[in-house]
Amino acid sequence: MSTQAGPPPMVQAAGASKWFGDLVAVSDVSFSIGAGVTALLGPNGAGKSTMLRMMCGLARPSNGSVTVLGKDPRSDVSVLGRIGMAPQQESLLDHLSGREFVELAAQLHHLQRPGEAARQAIQTVELDPDDTRRLSTYSKGMRQRIKLAQAIVHDPLVIALDEPLTGLDPRQRREMIELFHRLGSEGKCVIVSSHVLDEVERFGSRVLVMAQGRLAAEGDFREIRNLMDDRPLRISIRTDRPRELAIALLDRGVISGCRLEGADVVVVDTTDPAAFRRAVAPVARDRNVSLRELRPLDDDLESVFRYLVTQ
Amino acid sequence: MNLAVYRVILRTQLSPARLLVLAGLSGVAILLAFTARAADDTVEVATRTIANFGINIFAAFIALSLGSAALGNLVEDRTLVYLWLRPVSRHSIATAAMAAVLTVVAPTLVVVMTVAAVITGVDELVAATAVATALAVFAYSGIFLALGLRFKRSLLIGLGYIAIWELLMSRLGDWFARLSIRSYPMSILSDATDVSMRLADRSTLTSYIVPLAVGVAGLLYTSWRLNRTEID
Repeated sequence: MSTQAGPPPMVQAAGASKWFGDLVAVSDVSFSIGAGVTALLGPNGAGKSTMLRMMCGLARPSNGSVTVLGKDPRSDVSVLGRIGMAPQQESLLDHLSGREFVELAAQLHHLQRPGEAARQAIQTVELDPDDTRRLSTYSKGMRQRIKLAQAIVHDPLVIALDEPLTGLDPRQRREMIELFHRLGSEGKCVIVSSHVLDEVERFGSRVLVMAQGRLAAEGDFREIRNLMDDRPLRISIRTDRPRELAIALLDRGVISGCRLEGADVVVVDTTDPAAFRRAVAPVARDRNVSLRELRPLDDDLESVFRYLVTQ
Repeated sequence: MNLAVYRVILRTQLSPARLLVLAGLSGVAILLAFTARAADDTVEVATRTIANFGINIFAAFIALSLGSAALGNLVEDRTLVYLWLRPVSRHSIATAAMAAVLTVVAPTLVVVMTVAAVITGVDELVAATAVATALAVFAYSGIFLALGLRFKRSLLIGLGYIAIWELLMSRLGDWFARLSIRSYPMSILSDATDVSMRLADRSTLTSYIVPLAVGVAGLLYTSWRLNRTEID
């Protein structure tokens, strides 16, 4: 378990586990999160949504504890007034308009001027507060943004967003990320889950990496990225002269092993992917070897996380 | 009770399909009332019509349709989170859901069945019908509200309950009959018109108290369940 220095954590998990029958969704996870943007990164099925649900009191830990602002969100209803959440599922109260949906959240949070608060939240996510269409007519991107609006309408201290960028176009993603940073810089604890590595890179923040229900890594994104870049990589190279290329790369010391596959493919292992990337084209040019395809065999996110779990 | 939750659930209850079914069943009730009025033994036929159609079918099935959907639909389409994730007591959500169901079901059924009783021309049946229908609706709404939150296929389970327990098992003996909701409002009708009906032999006091207690128990279970349940 790690503890951030400075002010007390806003969200704290201590040995939190959650299982559903025989299925372990979250296993013995401990962390502390303070103000700012924190990314919860992991492949689908890693336990991110379950972790967020426990943070918001929607699910009870089977073991351990999860507290928000020092309170158990499951048993203390009052702390829910300080939490905003945008769940992953697309379903909304489709018979309402966007304005009514956000205003309902404001009313349930006992805001004095729910209409005004709803209008402001809807404008913040760049939707039209005067749009009277039902939510059932909203596009995926609009649904994501209205979910965010209902999560921030009451100005919560802790904001949990489950895959909030799914379905947004690049411009909307950029604006949403800017909004997350703005909220974080205002002293709020913004937790954003994602399974997209590049997306999390743009959060440029503290990262919790979950894999197979466990906390695989945590810390600054650059440290995690370096750890990911340092892992061994297996690459398939299609070329006209695989044997010559493999020997040259071995001579250069950028691969640790190789295996010929058929007449035009060599599979190489490297422990220094960056050096390999720099060397492969010059080596091929020097030997007059033509490169037809370079394909990482285990560069999917799942394998990256598997590697992190073993570290 | 939370008014915002009440309004939201009430709007989900008022779907065109449901209103159409309500209107259709209301029409059938009125037609049956005219038929009873024309019968030779009007009092007996009218009492049995109100009991068999009004209580056993109309009240039970409409309460099932709306009661099980009130929170059940929110669970099914995973939107309960938008009510649950707020600093409001779970009991106020349950009460609002029950109130929304009763707002639609009670006036429709009580008014329609009372009008049907008036049409039959049996004066002593009118007040008894209003009371018996109101009590039946309250009890069934409480049960089916809880059922909707507890089970995923609540409509099917509710249909099974009505068909197997209320309509079949209750005929197997007094012990089973005591656990049948319909026997209590039917007893109120029987008391009012002196028409003897199977199951309708509960005392006057229990005829009033049991349906009320069942409705309240359903509401309390719903509150408890909302506190305990994990929200998807």
